[in-house]
Amino acid sequence: MKYIGKKLVTMIGTLLVVSFLVFLAFSVIPGDPALAKLGTEATPERLESLREQMGLNAPLLERYGNWILSFVKGDMGTSYSYSMPVRSMIGDKLPITITLTCMAFIFVILISLPVALFTASHAGKAPDRLVYTFNQIMMSVPPFFAGLLFTIVFGMLLKWFVPGDFVSYTSSIGGFLRYLILPALAIALPKIAMCVKLLRSSVVMELKTDYVRTALSRGNNMKSVLYQHILKNALIPVITFLGMTLADMIAGSIIIEQVFNIPGLGRILLTSISNRDYPVVEAIIVLLAFVIIVINFGVDLLYQIVDPRIRISGKEQS
Amino acid sequence: MKKQYDYNLIIGAVLTVTMLFLILLGCFYTPYDPDAMDSAAKFAGVSLKHLMGCDQFGRDIFSRVLVGLGTTFYVAFGTVCIGTFAGIILGAVTGFFGGVVDEILMRITDALFAIPSILLALVVISLFGSGAWQVMLSLGIAFVPSFARIVRGEFLRLKDMDYVQSARLAGAGKMRIMFVHILPNMRAVLLSTIMIGFNNAVLAEAGLSFLGIGVQPPQSSLGRMLSEAQGYIFSAPGCALFPGIVLVLFVLGFVLLAEAFQERKTV
Repeated sequence: MKYIGKKLVTMIGTLLVVSFLVFLAFSVIPGDPALAKLGTEATPERLESLREQMGLNAPLLERYGNWILSFVKGDMGTSYSYSMPVRSMIGDKLPITITLTCMAFIFVILISLPVALFTASHAGKAPDRLVYTFNQIMMSVPPFFAGLLFTIVFGMLLKWFVPGDFVSYTSSIGGFLRYLILPALAIALPKIAMCVKLLRSSVVMELKTDYVRTALSRGNNMKSVLYQHILKNALIPVITFLGMTLADMIAGSIIIEQVFNIPGLGRILLTSISNRDYPVVEAIIVLLAFVIIVINFGVDLLYQIVDPRIRISGKEQS
Repeated sequence: MKKQYDYNLIIGAVLTVTMLFLILLGCFYTPYDPDAMDSAAKFAGVSLKHLMGCDQFGRDIFSRVLVGLGTTFYVAFGTVCIGTFAGIILGAVTGFFGGVVDEILMRITDALFAIPSILLALVVISLFGSGAWQVMLSLGIAFVPSFARIVRGEFLRLKDMDYVQSARLAGAGKMRIMFVHILPNMRAVLLSTIMIGFNNAVLAEAGLSFLGIGVQPPQSSLGRMLSEAQGYIFSAPGCALFPGIVLVLFVLGFVLLAEAFQERKTV
């Protein structure tokens, strides 16, 4: 419990620091939001009153306090270019991006665990070397290029799907999920390669330990030893990597959304960046950062479930 | 004993040298003017005249790849320089002196560490606008936390070594100890960090340019070419394939080299 409490405090601290840094970055930029809203023709009095109304005259810390409080309550400010609440702009887009990321994550787990265990138990043999070569190449393919290749191969040559024909989750959940399979795979591929590599070396190391020899000598077959004894120990160093992967994949889905024409957070973020619509950019970045930080908190908790030694000593083993 | 070839090293070196040669070539010579439009050659296929065909404006893709590779290279190079330089200074100061500054800076890097570097770069780009220099700056800033962390860890590990103590006894100043005695001893770690960082920078630049907020037209970059080709992917897949394959080979060369160096270090 003490451990959870400590991690919780760290998490809230990180949330505050990140949101403050982002807020600070968008506060020091040259340019006056009130001026941007009213145009250069505006009278000084009107500018002043709008500034007062927008809360721009308060000291920085106070403005940050107000902003973060309303952010937590769900009010994310108002878009400059569309004059509508940011929340209603991104509310129905967030599930798309999150689903895409989760799907990619599931692919990473489902594909890399069996592949890594298989190659590790065949270390040095032909299939191991084949997977190794394949991995090295996969690590060098950026997700958006993989996405383009998928479009060419599955969309044009095999005609398995119609590129750009996105189905919203409100009209058909099945069609929505089916459309996301290829984008999710494109995001997942380089991560699968890295995960296989990491997990393979971790499993190879575990294979040499005494407990594996004991388990084998007691008549267990290799497969059950791999899945029931080794996997749990070998996963410990991989969990941190998986947490970081999830963060990376959220960023990756912003790029891949452009390839497959998916109307997720990515598109709003990009248009807002080119329109200099700062409240929207700020809200999306902070929201994504919050999601990532909470995931990392979850990873820390998962750690101590998988590895009780951490719970006792209170610190992470390397 | 049979001679063991280090395939990672050989293939990686061959790829990297080829790419560096192409970049150098692109600086002095391209078969065509990379920006010259030729309506007669619109979507021209692969031929001896146009090695990789032509794009929607009839521009020679091979020439554009040569120049784009150079852009990608110098943006990534600049990014790594900014990240390394700032990272070394920050890491050295925090790792060597410790104290309150260390505590504060490490809290901040911890926090920034939680955000993927692409997102950080997006924040910086939305503040400074897009373009090659902005990308370099924003990615450089986004890379600082990870570099600083690694350098700090190395300083912590090395600062109480015997040779540092003896340098101190010999009367060497703090700056001299930090940068003349300690820094050269972390070159192996620095080298692999820089190589991985360079790869990430190439991929990140390509990603940002692909999104249209990186390098701006008419300047060519591999990511930019891919994003322009996306609209014509069915009529002219070559426009996307060639820049993409060159990008993959460029990154692959570095991945293999980094891998080979890492293996050397542990053996």
